[in-house]
Amino acid sequence: MKSKPLIIAGALAAIVVIAGVFVIALNLVAQQGARPAVGSPAPDFTLKLYPGYRAGLPEEIRLSDLRGNVVVMNFWASWCVECYKEADALEAVYRKYKDRGVIFLGIDYLDTEAPALAYLQQYNITYPNGIDLQQQIARAYRITGVPETFFIDRDGIVRDVVIAPLTEAQLSARIDKMLAD
Amino acid sequence: MTFAKTLRAFICALLGVLLLGRSTANVVYAQVPAPDEETYRIAKQLNCPTCAGRNLADCPTETCAQWKAEIKAQLDQGKSAQEVLDYFQARFGPTVLQEPPKSGTTAPLWAAPIGAAIVFLIGAGLVMWRTSQRNAPAAPSTPQSEGEDPFVAALEREVRQSE
Repeated sequence: MKSKPLIIAGALAAIVVIAGVFVIALNLVAQQGARPAVGSPAPDFTLKLYPGYRAGLPEEIRLSDLRGNVVVMNFWASWCVECYKEADALEAVYRKYKDRGVIFLGIDYLDTEAPALAYLQQYNITYPNGIDLQQQIARAYRITGVPETFFIDRDGIVRDVVIAPLTEAQLSARIDKMLAD
Repeated sequence: MTFAKTLRAFICALLGVLLLGRSTANVVYAQVPAPDEETYRIAKQLNCPTCAGRNLADCPTETCAQWKAEIKAQLDQGKSAQEVLDYFQARFGPTVLQEPPKSGTTAPLWAAPIGAAIVFLIGAGLVMWRTSQRNAPAAPSTPQSEGEDPFVAALEREVRQSE
């Protein structure tokens, strides 16, 4: 059969292409990892804080350096309409708990600096905020969008995740629970 | 003023107007692309960050509007197109580029079609070689002496036996 080697060559070529795509897919999956479940350790990361939004912290902070504090980690973006709804609540609750071992971290997702800083100014945000460079933190936490808020206890364990705008009452209830534990 | 002088003055004025028009036209054509055109050209090389598979230049979302404003702002600051692209890649990662870099995790994506083409060419070459082998005229057989031909030898034996 004259066409047999041609079929084999075609099949091998297809295998090469499929294998290449498979390798890429595996790499992407390996890069993304699994979403940190409630009760599991919060993945560590480094966050570069915006000037003027450090609240006494260094320019670059590691989550692991904040161990011993309750951490409220909020993913947001200036283009996110839903984020506007919780901006005031986040700031109000931060002011309420900031002297009680609670640290708020705003993680700016897929944003350019000028609109991000304008957003922070517009809502009088004072808690630490920084840019998630190359979406490394968003990937580590497998966020599905913004806003998304992770509650991390004093031992660095994820205690809750909320994928929606939060109210002051919802924020306070979760923080109080972690402070009580 | 004679007619010849009037005609000369008219021709000079006409040439002057034409030259002026030409120089004006040259200025128009020699213009560098307006910032908005350059913004569009750079945006064409970037992806929308929030809508999969969409080009930044053609995307009407708020995010993309902000990103295009950022491109324009950086161009206005005197940054080159490459510097702007480098900024976006550094801030948002290589996936922001329409054409992913040919290294790292995307290397197999670029290598796979080339590998497939090589495998296919080798296979096609093999088919052509085998086809040409089959269609080649048969080599003339070496004449054998009568004594070497087993058929002739067997025939001779039978003749001898019958005698």
